[in-house]
Amino acid sequence: MTAIVDAAAVESPTELESTRGFEPIVLTFCCNWCAYAGADLAGVSRIQYPANIRIIRVMCSGMIHPNLVIDALTKGADGVLVCGCHIGDCHYQSGNMRAEARADSIRLMLEDFGIEPERFDLQWVSASEGARFAQVATDIVERVRALGPSPYKN
Amino acid sequence: MVRVAEEWLNMCGGCEICILDIGEPLLDLLPQLQFVHMPVLMDHKYFGQTGEGTEMEIPEAEIGIVSGGVRNEKERHVATEMRKKCETLIALGSCACFGGIPALANQYVMEDLYEAVYRSSHTTDASPIPAEDLPPLTDRVYAVDEVVEIDAYIPGCPTSPDHIASALTGLLEGKPFSLPERSVCDECPTKRERKAAASFKRPLESIVPPGESVEDSRCLMELGYLCLGPVTKAGCGGDEKTPRCIRAGMPCRGCFGPIRKDANPMVDMMGALSSIGLDPRSIPDRSATFQRYTGAHNRLRPLPKR
Repeated sequence: MTAIVDAAAVESPTELESTRGFEPIVLTFCCNWCAYAGADLAGVSRIQYPANIRIIRVMCSGMIHPNLVIDALTKGADGVLVCGCHIGDCHYQSGNMRAEARADSIRLMLEDFGIEPERFDLQWVSASEGARFAQVATDIVERVRALGPSPYKN
Repeated sequence: MVRVAEEWLNMCGGCEICILDIGEPLLDLLPQLQFVHMPVLMDHKYFGQTGEGTEMEIPEAEIGIVSGGVRNEKERHVATEMRKKCETLIALGSCACFGGIPALANQYVMEDLYEAVYRSSHTTDASPIPAEDLPPLTDRVYAVDEVVEIDAYIPGCPTSPDHIASALTGLLEGKPFSLPERSVCDECPTKRERKAAASFKRPLESIVPPGESVEDSRCLMELGYLCLGPVTKAGCGGDEKTPRCIRAGMPCRGCFGPIRKDANPMVDMMGALSSIGLDPRSIPDRSATFQRYTGAHNRLRPLPKR
């Protein structure tokens, strides 16, 4: 898992970047059951969202250990978005509640690492909310673009 | 005869004391060792005894020991020279391995450090930053392995003489030295109940009352004393196993550094605290507290002003 995160976070600057300036990389963890299907729906419905999003499919938003988020942000990603099922809809009953509890401590850790907490977000996206996924993705990309590159990017 | 060169960089000298503190095993080692360079013990100048030389002379040696991190250009030069002249280079002590206490300075930008030391300190008269005949400071404190390649690490502040002895003995027999990836908790004799009994307190004196044994004590963290044991590499007890600070009735301060090289003590410590029901928010200055000895490798860095 760490290797996947590293590979997605450490990407050479895109061609786009040379012409348009800073393009953030936002690592997105989507749970297999709701959010990933939501992202898929956004795709098949041809709803536009920024290409800065790098989606990693995971079985549940509750399996995103704070280590993965910190790793991503300190090794090259500019933002991290975690998407899971709405509360009450979790395929594993309470995985997303765990994600919510973790999000709280992740924000605290980001503060200690000197990373703006706005670079991280946790959002619920159901399988039928393609448009919502596109909206959530656009929001975080724009927010991170405004913040600039991650302070850990040398 | 195996030649040994020893150098101290940005550090206090405690790790050299540790070499002398090896005790009786040192007597068995000494006939096989020849110390060819060791500023703490021998008068051997870098540029000839009267300063007539133009190039730094460190004699060639089979084993090199470097203690202390790199804070200025002279130390960088010495570290590079040591690497060139020594076949096996050992980083001795937490400063050499991960920056140590001096690396706490990595939390501040240079200008703030100069301001605090030379201009606004209450105990010193304000004066210009000295530059004449002094090597310039590096931009931050580096661990030695950020400057040159290191073959073996002996962490600790100071380290345990047992490890120095076993590393030297091992090298004489051609065996590499490394510490097992275990945490201080794995070797701690206190009793764990996995639930905090109190909120955070400050350890102002030994927590275990004199005369009582640590074996009968409950886990210090569960008693409400911040202990870095869960995220710190075991081994400080040396051959005696029981961690040194715990033996003295005090919580672990984390001088042996992270358990694995790529571990993230900040994150793991948060997990360890919340798993027994303590609130990390009540700890002031978390990043420096959790990384007191591991500030190099960019672990501690100036926080962006917001």
